[in-house]
Amino acid sequence: MTTNLAEVDVVVVGLGAAGGVAVLPLTQAGLNVVGLEAGTWMNPGRDYKADEIHNNVRSLVTTGNKVAGEVPTVRNSPTATAVQQTRHPMMNAVGGTSIHYHAQSWRLNPWDFNVRSATLERYGADYIPQDTTLEDWPVSYADMEPFYDNVEYAVGVSGKAGNIQGQINPEGNIFEGPRQRDYPMPPLRSCDFLDHMYEAGQSVGYHPYHGPAAINSQPYDGRPGCQYHGYCDRGGCDVRAKNSTDVSTIPKAQATGNLEIRDNANVRRINVDNTGKATGVTYLRDGEEFFQPARAVLLGCYTYENIRTLLLSTSAYYPNGLGNNRGQVGKHYFGHWDIQGGTLVTALFPFDLNIWYGAIAQGVMVDDWADDNFDHSGLGFIGGASLHVYTEKHPIGAAAMGTFGRVNRRWGSEWKDFIKENAGRTQTAYIQTNTFPYQHTWADLDPNVIDPFGDPVLRVTNGRKQNEPMAAAHAANKMEDWFRAAGATDIVNTGGGRGPALSTHAHGGTRMGTNPDTSVCDPWGFSFEAKNLGILGGSVMGTAGARNPTQTIQALAWRTAHHLVQEWDEITA
Amino acid sequence: MSEKSSSGRDISRRKVLQSAVSATSVSLIPLTSCTTPVSAPQKLLSREAWLILEAFTDRIIPADANGPGAVAAGVPYYIENSLASWNAEELELLTTGLFALTSAARNRYDLDFQLLSDNNKDALLRDMEDGKIDTFENSAAIFSRLHRLTLEGMFSDPYYGGNQGYIGWDLIGYPGAVMSSTAQMQQMGGRLPPLHTSAYGSDYDGE
Repeated sequence: MTTNLAEVDVVVVGLGAAGGVAVLPLTQAGLNVVGLEAGTWMNPGRDYKADEIHNNVRSLVTTGNKVAGEVPTVRNSPTATAVQQTRHPMMNAVGGTSIHYHAQSWRLNPWDFNVRSATLERYGADYIPQDTTLEDWPVSYADMEPFYDNVEYAVGVSGKAGNIQGQINPEGNIFEGPRQRDYPMPPLRSCDFLDHMYEAGQSVGYHPYHGPAAINSQPYDGRPGCQYHGYCDRGGCDVRAKNSTDVSTIPKAQATGNLEIRDNANVRRINVDNTGKATGVTYLRDGEEFFQPARAVLLGCYTYENIRTLLLSTSAYYPNGLGNNRGQVGKHYFGHWDIQGGTLVTALFPFDLNIWYGAIAQGVMVDDWADDNFDHSGLGFIGGASLHVYTEKHPIGAAAMGTFGRVNRRWGSEWKDFIKENAGRTQTAYIQTNTFPYQHTWADLDPNVIDPFGDPVLRVTNGRKQNEPMAAAHAANKMEDWFRAAGATDIVNTGGGRGPALSTHAHGGTRMGTNPDTSVCDPWGFSFEAKNLGILGGSVMGTAGARNPTQTIQALAWRTAHHLVQEWDEITA
Repeated sequence: MSEKSSSGRDISRRKVLQSAVSATSVSLIPLTSCTTPVSAPQKLLSREAWLILEAFTDRIIPADANGPGAVAAGVPYYIENSLASWNAEELELLTTGLFALTSAARNRYDLDFQLLSDNNKDALLRDMEDGKIDTFENSAAIFSRLHRLTLEGMFSDPYYGGNQGYIGWDLIGYPGAVMSSTAQMQQMGGRLPPLHTSAYGSDYDGE
């Protein structure tokens, strides 16, 4: 028995980093919006703790009810049986993963939008990675700039511009694309260790800068500045200085009076009519099934659930899943090649760093070995990685440090003596590599593993890549040089790594492009096949930059919502 | 999601464990403050298992010239608490592992594990970690989990029963949980003075 509700203008599925931003331009334009969220509101005073057991061991902030049953399976060859993973990056709550993320908040480099054509022009066809399905984005950095700006001011981003309308400022990132104005807030506070790394970076010829963060460096929008207590990672912010959408854009959208939020709403299917147009969504709430009709649907879940929801929404018009009549849903999926992919450079210093407190986004960044910021001639790969050195060290993690070969076993008096001296003297760099889509990596429905509703979970097939490990290893060596210049005595460098299958930076699967035969979404983020279905999230991104994707996801979401407002009559006709 | 009663300190430890074990939706309840943990029969682990666990954690982080170790910090309490709560699924495996360890001690030295000399305990633990004890299935994986739980107990917020008196945090120089840090608290050049503060503030007084 399904209860049919009254039609609204727009239903947004998922109120996380993406959907939580899209609701703002929609409601400000006067559209009547229902936001469906599988989780509920977090209560900062109750739910967020300066406690490693709470956040990092028990994962109490990030563990939601719905996601636990729908973790994707993974296999490393197309003939293997995929195995369900135990950890997942998704989160169900109003605000979604923007609650517990590190809040490093970037614009992509202009190069990221046209990697294929820029590579052909500068290095030739031999430098296009083998087996890649890489295409230029259908939008340029210049197209994105106004939307990046909107997000930086509406969400609240701290940072220092490196390029305002072509004026380069070496206090910021000199490699960034031109921006119309500076950030609304200065960068997060620096600290002694970061100042030390900054100088060391300059001494080896790099261009260090304090990276941007969606965290208040000073009071902003009625909320306080960061308190640097050191439990940002996988934790929420108890003073609301981290600008997750539940404290930034969503309340602003609610203030218009045009947003109705239904929490604990588990969306099961997107419905369509016999012309392939989306008619609304079917969801469960408290065991009851509802149909919410809408003129337009914006799907804004995490990448895995965006893909899965489309594949599960089969109909006579879409027998292989919604918007999938050309078989592109799930293709061009990839995980971001970063620390989860195994690229780790860890340094030991002969002095106490005192980086217990702070925040992961409180850091110094180097872009010299990322993107196309250096000449790749003769190197045999494209792209590279950003290098990020940061604060926030938790005591259990510190004590569980590697021992750099100095003691044989991680127990006993010899080891105790080692960690007594060194637990506060080590740090691991955060290295994020430009990552591209490949033919042999994709997502589809698992034939064996189901969620608690009996629906198949997503399955990721993860093939080997050649370009990314080379780019990552190149950058890791540059990181090693940087740490040594700062006085590190011991370094463990794992090189390029193997790359992740699942990722907290999952990209692709509903790629945005100009060609419906190789992409799911049009250049505005709407399904080529169901024209009143927009898709929000990392799933629309065709490449990963050498940096965290969230601000780009948010700028794209804003742009898609803006387009819906502008072209309302045509899209909903 | 969270987890405490307002009058936690009035609840006896045994009652805490009983209620935690019997509850279907297990949640953590704050423990009595306990600066000198004692080896006493417990509700969750048998006395025998407790003694083996205590001896295990004592060799992982021994009391020595660098100060008190895991036992003085109450690490076995942390482990038992976690097994009564969020690690309940591991209780059977890890208890079986503790008994397999003491069986190996009896086989090799004719004594229970906790009665061995430190050298003999360490020799057995090395073999356990390396998976070299024939009669001890999954010994390396069980060692790894007990080792990890020992570190968690030593270096977690004392709210959870370990790190009593901030022994673990003092060892590595973590000053304590704060709600706000200053730039001065991020200065290099020597250790910061200990703060001895729990994230649970006045709900917990570890000293």
